[in-house]
Amino acid sequence: MSDQRLFAAALLNPDVPCPDGLTAWNDSDPTRRFAVYRNNVIVSLIDALADTFPVTQELVGEEFFRAMAGVFVRQAPPTSAQLVEYGEGLPTFITQFEPASTVPYLADVARLEMLRIRAFHAADADPLTPEQITQALADPTRLPLLQVGCHPSLNVLNSRYAIVSLWAAHQGIGDLASVNPALPEIALVIRVGLEVQVIALPPGGDVLIAGFAAGLPLGEAAGLAIATHPDFDLTAHLALLLRCGALSSFSLPTEVPS
Amino acid sequence: MSKTLTSTTLSAAALALALGSALTLTTAPAVGADMEKCFGVALKGKNDCAAGPGTTCAGTSKADYQGGAWKNVPKGSCEKTASPTSPTGHGQLAAFAEKKS
Repeated sequence: MSDQRLFAAALLNPDVPCPDGLTAWNDSDPTRRFAVYRNNVIVSLIDALADTFPVTQELVGEEFFRAMAGVFVRQAPPTSAQLVEYGEGLPTFITQFEPASTVPYLADVARLEMLRIRAFHAADADPLTPEQITQALADPTRLPLLQVGCHPSLNVLNSRYAIVSLWAAHQGIGDLASVNPALPEIALVIRVGLEVQVIALPPGGDVLIAGFAAGLPLGEAAGLAIATHPDFDLTAHLALLLRCGALSSFSLPTEVPS
Repeated sequence: MSKTLTSTTLSAAALALALGSALTLTTAPAVGADMEKCFGVALKGKNDCAAGPGTTCAGTSKADYQGGAWKNVPKGSCEKTASPTSPTGHGQLAAFAEKKS
């Protein structure tokens, strides 16, 4: 193992002794100096996770969260220099983390919070203008074939738990005690301007958006949503998506199906 | 890409109606407010200016308490949250086996 790898391994594992050959500028004990540095590394990474997952932390309390995050940090230290992306693996870690199993919705709330960070840093895209939509409506026979491009920040999270209500209750919206976490909810996460928004999507909205993302033409994506959710209200869904600027382009496939 | 449209494909007329109505709904402010009620408000976070970690100097004052912290069980707001899968109705102070519904 290289010196650098030994040093890094010792940083993450307090049972590994201070690496050999370290000296301090002022003749203080390198073992102590190394312990300080080791503490700073772990604590700063836990702090980073606490910044990304504030509601996750509130749900289980700071002490529990920091202890859990400490285990995660040692198991999965950052692999990118961009700290903002750190924590992508935390939700999955939570699902396997036995002490957190009493809070079954915790992992999905963490997923939602990670999506908010991703949405914040996603690329910009202009939403469809009323003129573009009017233009598409002028040739209705082509409508079913149109491919719909979504805003780069848009993500949908389909959960068995009431993640939107739980998250909202921690923003001072609604009463936490009246939230039934066992009710499934679909979260739509999108950045509107510079603001990341979380919207509860009615059932079927996830199917429609997944269809768009998979490149299905409008007619097929809408048909699929209706087939899976008979009371699917396409008008309301399209209005919601247009209103938050979720749809950014209409295009025809280069090869028009015969 | 040549994709044959399946039988679930919605007709041009139905799509035109839906998209046309949606356009009307989004451009009329009064109805826009109603839509808000239908779908629940678009929620934003308390700290929407926060771009995530990495922008501040790492804290150095907190101690990294590891190891034995596992004795702790979650004790944040999840205790105030109803839990139909919990035998007690809510409160998750101690581990419980999830009730199968």
